[in-house]
Amino acid sequence: MGTIRMDRRLFLKTAGATAGAVAATQVGCFKYFKKGRSTAADTKEIPTTCELCPNKCSAIAVVEGGFIRKLNPNPENPKSRDMLCARGNAAVMQVYDPDRIKQPMIRVGARGEGKWKPVSWDEAFDYTAKKLAEIKEKYGPEGTLWASTEGFQEKFFMNLGQAFGSPNIVRHPTLCLASVNLAYGTTFGTVPSFDMLNSKYVIMSGANRFESIITPDTMDLIGSVMERKAKLVYLDPRFTVTAAKADEWYPIKPGSDLAFILAMLNVIIAEKRYHKDFVDTYTLGFDQLAEHVKQYTPEWAEKETEIPAKDIIRIAREFADAGTRALYYSGRRSSWYQNDFQMRRAQAILNTIVGNWDQMGGMVPNASLPKGEFLFMPWDDPKASRVDEVKTNFPLAAASDGAYLKLRENVLSGKPYPVKGWMVYKQDPMNALPDQSKTMKMIEQMDFIGVIDLQMSDMAWYADVVLPESAYLERTDPVEVMPGIWPAVVYRQQVVKPIHDTKPNLEIVQGIAKRLGLSDYFDYTIDQWVEAEFKDLPIPMAAEHMKKHGVWAATGEAHYGKTLTPDHRFVTKSGKIEIYSERLQENGYDPLPVYTQIAQPPADRFRLILGRVGYFTHANQSNNVWLHEFMPENDLWINPVPAARLGIKHGDFVNVSSSVGTARIKARVTEEIRPDCVFMLHGFGKKSKMQSLVYNVGASDAVILETAWDKVSGNAAFHETFVKVSNA
Amino acid sequence: MRNTLLSLLALAALAAPLSAQGSELKGKFFFKKTCKTCHVAGKPGKEVTPLTKTQAQWKAYFAADKHNKGKEKLGTGTDLKPEQMKDVMTFLIQHASDSPQPMTCGG
Repeated sequence: MGTIRMDRRLFLKTAGATAGAVAATQVGCFKYFKKGRSTAADTKEIPTTCELCPNKCSAIAVVEGGFIRKLNPNPENPKSRDMLCARGNAAVMQVYDPDRIKQPMIRVGARGEGKWKPVSWDEAFDYTAKKLAEIKEKYGPEGTLWASTEGFQEKFFMNLGQAFGSPNIVRHPTLCLASVNLAYGTTFGTVPSFDMLNSKYVIMSGANRFESIITPDTMDLIGSVMERKAKLVYLDPRFTVTAAKADEWYPIKPGSDLAFILAMLNVIIAEKRYHKDFVDTYTLGFDQLAEHVKQYTPEWAEKETEIPAKDIIRIAREFADAGTRALYYSGRRSSWYQNDFQMRRAQAILNTIVGNWDQMGGMVPNASLPKGEFLFMPWDDPKASRVDEVKTNFPLAAASDGAYLKLRENVLSGKPYPVKGWMVYKQDPMNALPDQSKTMKMIEQMDFIGVIDLQMSDMAWYADVVLPESAYLERTDPVEVMPGIWPAVVYRQQVVKPIHDTKPNLEIVQGIAKRLGLSDYFDYTIDQWVEAEFKDLPIPMAAEHMKKHGVWAATGEAHYGKTLTPDHRFVTKSGKIEIYSERLQENGYDPLPVYTQIAQPPADRFRLILGRVGYFTHANQSNNVWLHEFMPENDLWINPVPAARLGIKHGDFVNVSSSVGTARIKARVTEEIRPDCVFMLHGFGKKSKMQSLVYNVGASDAVILETAWDKVSGNAAFHETFVKVSNA
Repeated sequence: MRNTLLSLLALAALAAPLSAQGSELKGKFFFKKTCKTCHVAGKPGKEVTPLTKTQAQWKAYFAADKHNKGKEKLGTGTDLKPEQMKDVMTFLIQHASDSPQPMTCGG
């Protein structure tokens, strides 16, 4: 790569801090992370909000001599339960990461060659605005795509795309949880939280909550299961940590969870174990459901799921007996199969008929808290329709989020119109989307790519300009309400000044907007924005409180049953909880969940399944120095039986091939996975040399995953790929 | 007189065909800027969001052109122009409680 300037004093400071931090972990993490507050005179403790994953836990940064010494959990946030996970702790190394992008850069070599020219912010803004204006002139504003992942400053990026006139704002949900949101939204008119703290009986389909951390669910589940307050039944083709801690684990045949749920419905209804009063008062379509599930007997489901019928019957009875405190957990990253929406709908319906809605230990509609808003006159609506044609292809999906995979197909085809500019904020489509070769083709056909990120992701590596954002610990963000059973308002404030020539996203957006003549829409500072949000918090001295505490959680008490009045109108078409959905029927979908078998891999292939561990959520975390220590490289889980048949030994390098690509990775021969599946962790095998710890180390799942999506929500279906495995 | 004129203009806007919809985006802004000064929890106007009514109820509400429990014309005491009122109506109908994309004002 090209020369990157760095001030000597800054280098020494940064290197010193990095080396010091690494040394501290190597000498003894125990001492480094020991709880307790420092009393050093130059020590400050600054409350803020974590950004390493979507949970937004409250943290307290301990700053000594201008450097972040460590992060502690903030006990005032009921959602984060006085917990800060490994990822949260490792945010320190997001700041002192030697691989960070340290100043704006413009590509000077071929895309992906890694040759960059360090430039001033003015040069970077001028270049970005010029390229965007050229595309607008030639193709219209709809010729640009604005892709982002959730974050407190994401709104500024999306606003820039909209103010520019593009309809093509695409967010992350169809790579994550769109199917679960749509399924629960269709049924209840809202997506509830799950009261794991008080539940007596929990069933989880593949939601590996002990490792894939969601607050407060993970901590509450640990408490409930470990203290034997709740029974946990867990279905997963893989023996995860959650499986290890569960009361019962079933290595269910992949893609058959819907059959299991339908058979449970069959048993509970046939044996009249459902909550009749609740069903009669609050729901629509129970009679159709009762008729519909007669076909789905436990004996039938045994053949589909490979779970014995007697166990399905027993679990159904136990679940119904737990009644309002029984939960079929929804999961979060629901991007698995092409029938995901209907599987999540069936979960929602099962929860409904045992009457756990708005009950302690059941599903609870989210409470919220008020906050102010910085209001400004918005721009005109875009003239063109979306390139992903989401309203036609997925009429019930959240149109403003877009449908990422369909969008990519349309952009590649050039229909309904060409898209030639791609702005990206805090997202790595090279790893977040399946079939990396298609993403590469999309990159190749772009006239311009601009990336705003902290680090040189694979997407940034192929960009024309990279605009480095300040880390969350270096900036102040908008205030955010975290709805839930225990809602909270959280504030992210600057802990240290930026150590490199980086800017908060708002200032990057403003720099581009100014040159595009769009300054009127961004004529405010982050402090003005935040002050407006503080204004309506119903607490005295709100600004002072939030700066001092970083969080406000009202009483922190849960309130149940607010919607359980006969005149309550649910936010659905009928005003009832919709077991049977006319809206689905009107749009050509099954109004009740119908089971269809998914294809199973032929004898010489495996189904590739994905998952998460506690220390990585997103692809960008594997290059974090501290997190990397937990797992320097990913591997391929393969069962000993097929491994022996293929002559594969533990630690051998293998080639994993699908119809779209091949990856080379080490084998982990383990009984902790079904013989018809293989598993690999996300976030390795990077192409960016500025992800030095994971560059060309391990393999990227995106290389071999094929393109498929859920038919209703457009959510990516990441578990539909069959692979061949052979010794490398 | 001014309010009457505004109401007439608002009615004229409502009489336009559905294809001549207003802007949801701007409607959300005008609703927050104007209507939410009174219609929030704890104030006499009580909280109102798109979810307060169904699509049919919002259509009927705007067609009736009444505000404050029928005591005054819609738009009384505001400086909303007819096209801005149409934007507000579009926002409320498109995100009503029985709409395919229900929405509170927050999001």
